[in-house]
Amino acid sequence: MTVKIITDSLGDIPPGIAEELGITVIPINVIFGNINYRDGVDLTTEQFYDKLAASKVFPTTIVPSLGRYADAYDQVAEETGDIIVITNSHKLSASYETAVLARERMKKKCRVEVIDSLSAIMAQGLIVMAAARAAKDGARLDKILEGVRNNIPRAHIRMAFGTLEYLRRGGRIGKAKTFLGMVLKVSPILGIRDGEIYPFAREHSRARAIDYLYEFADGFTGIEGIGVEDVTTPGEAEELARRLQARFLGETIYRSRVGPAVGAHVGPRVLGVAVLGDRDQP
Amino acid sequence: MAEANSISGKDLQEMFTAATGWLEKSAADVDALNVFPVPDGDTGTNMLLTMRSSIEDAYQVANNSVSAVAQAIARGALIGARGNSGVILSQIWNGLAQGLDEKETMTGADLVQGLLLASRTAYNGLSNPVEGTILTVIREAAEAAEKHASEVSNDLISVMEATVEAARESVANTPTLLPVLKECGVVDAGGQGLYTILEGALHYLKGETEQLKLRRPWMVASSIPLTTRAPQMVGAEDEVPYGYCTNFVIKGAELDPEKLRRRLEKKGLSVIVIGDDSAVRVHIHTLDPGDIMHYVNHLGTLHQINIRNMDEQYRDFLEMQKERMPEVDTAIVAVVVGEGLSQVFTSLGTTIIVPGGQTMNPSTKDLLQAVEAVPSEKVIILPNNKNIVLTAEQVPALTEKKIHVVPTRTVPQGVAALLAFDYEADLETNTVSMYQAHLEVKSIEVTRAVRATRLGGLDIKKNQAIGFLDGDLVAVADKPEEVLNEVLERVEPDKAEVVTIYYGADTKPAEAEQAAASIRERYSQLQVEVVQGGQPHYNYIASVE
Repeated sequence: MTVKIITDSLGDIPPGIAEELGITVIPINVIFGNINYRDGVDLTTEQFYDKLAASKVFPTTIVPSLGRYADAYDQVAEETGDIIVITNSHKLSASYETAVLARERMKKKCRVEVIDSLSAIMAQGLIVMAAARAAKDGARLDKILEGVRNNIPRAHIRMAFGTLEYLRRGGRIGKAKTFLGMVLKVSPILGIRDGEIYPFAREHSRARAIDYLYEFADGFTGIEGIGVEDVTTPGEAEELARRLQARFLGETIYRSRVGPAVGAHVGPRVLGVAVLGDRDQP
Repeated sequence: MAEANSISGKDLQEMFTAATGWLEKSAADVDALNVFPVPDGDTGTNMLLTMRSSIEDAYQVANNSVSAVAQAIARGALIGARGNSGVILSQIWNGLAQGLDEKETMTGADLVQGLLLASRTAYNGLSNPVEGTILTVIREAAEAAEKHASEVSNDLISVMEATVEAARESVANTPTLLPVLKECGVVDAGGQGLYTILEGALHYLKGETEQLKLRRPWMVASSIPLTTRAPQMVGAEDEVPYGYCTNFVIKGAELDPEKLRRRLEKKGLSVIVIGDDSAVRVHIHTLDPGDIMHYVNHLGTLHQINIRNMDEQYRDFLEMQKERMPEVDTAIVAVVVGEGLSQVFTSLGTTIIVPGGQTMNPSTKDLLQAVEAVPSEKVIILPNNKNIVLTAEQVPALTEKKIHVVPTRTVPQGVAALLAFDYEADLETNTVSMYQAHLEVKSIEVTRAVRATRLGGLDIKKNQAIGFLDGDLVAVADKPEEVLNEVLERVEPDKAEVVTIYYGADTKPAEAEQAAASIRERYSQLQVEVVQGGQPHYNYIASVE
């Protein structure tokens, strides 16, 4: 029986890939004023960012109910007896907690393993995609679980930010608060480390920040996936993806867009590169 | 409990229960924030216990009016209040109860009234109200509620939303009002606690019970970064904790809280005395709790006595703070002069700034002291002036610590090096990348000639503006702005990306802005930034990258 993979929409799996690899994605809700939107369902990413730019209200995000997770499990359990749920970092959202508790609400009998990716956006996505590929190739549950655990410390992400204001307001800024209040206009480069937002570098212009992202990816070997994603600057992302493609000729460079639930917390102009692989330098 | 324009006493009970549950989830995080007025280290727990005492009394009320329930809440809070913030919280509920007096139900307008009185009562309860604390948060939240009700909507949920949002902003802003918070890089703990309570109440009003169960409150992040202190301030006495945090309740007859407060203010700090003629709650920081107990013993019976050593709490607190910052083990010492430039360097992560520069060269000893003062075994020194590089290079031989000097000869080189600092990398890697970065920037310096001379083929009159490019004299003119432009022309500005202009203490902001505008006009691809450097002698220091 094929193992099935479930994840939340915070992993920014590129369009079409979820269907191709048979991944079930649970949408995370975005709340604007009093209206609840399901990430990627009720609101396209474009509509969301138009709204974010126009609205004075600050959106919030909410992990769907236990019931919604349990329903997703039950639905997938129609096809399989083995499910792996890979969630967003528990330090960034309540997805992991909810995913664990939802197992008790299931109606069907099915083995459900829940793993915290300790990550987010495409770094989470690449872990999920690798697991789904293994599942599709017929790997058994325990083997896939082991693969996911090995991949968690191998999934890295760096993001060039336009502003840290959204992160600060949303309360997810973590240790990157060191970068708040800079007198000079610089582009902060943040990433995720130990499941939370971490400050890595600062560049004095946007162009240099993008070079940093390129050089970051350049420093990997044993690559099993590269993703490039933007919030509102697809042109920059395309260009960076082209440069990376020229560097990593045999690899697929996945292109995605940061979903609204994360976008609400990072703000526009975030450009990210995620790599699943081994870093040359520590 | 969704969609209500007013709530009953029963709802108010449940709203407080929900808010308390919400606070409970983050009480430990709030504890970790505590620094004011000296680190008690348990603000979250104190507020939580105060809230629980409120609820206990609230549920003993048979009457379903909000007035009766609010009074019970205030009474429970008074008798159960612990710590500074617990006591202030009890004053807040006391004010709320006054605002809801004789009300059967609570509407948005009643809530506004209650919050305004809560704010006033909280301020009145203290002999010396300090801004940047829970007081500021309740006041700004109440003001926002009032404004929202009169200008937007007085719907209960809508008012509460505005209140919560204002509270959050107010909490984030506390470090700008209270230096001790800024230095520790935290927001005010009591303010955070109050914000969390209000947010929990809002969740209840909106019927979001599942989230109350599953989610956790977010800790508000400070709107300003952690700044490190200059060496001469290390160990300044304004933050040394002292003595014992002492709390108790006196029950008796004909007690006089006002008189008692005046007496106690002579015996300790952070004195809070609240209550009426039959019960008074006291919070005081004192070196001699025995003396206090002896003094109050004759006034009535003593209850809930709680005395804790604050020095122990302070040590624990410092340990905790260390863990909360990025684990950078390399410190940076930079030589900088000018308030604006110092801010630039501090905000980019300089650990200690040694004042100095042109004509004010620090000694080897000055640098050595700074190096010894940083809480790190590995230090990078940025001299930022060609006359200081050599001095800096003497330091490594004089200390046990591992010191690298990145020989920055100008301020722009120092900034470029600092920007290249990688929070992940070790000392060696950082030294190499900072060295590389300092070579990649062009430095322009514009000053006035102190005497007439002929140099590098240029005839210079005294007081004329002269310009240097990477230390070489290359331009002279009457106005500093002309010189700035002339030097800029020499570095292929059409190929550069970023120009940052730091204008000096003697230069008017308008002149600097005008110079920048003219550069932007000529080179539209350039990102030109103007920063008040405040440096002496130099009208302009500029970097071209």
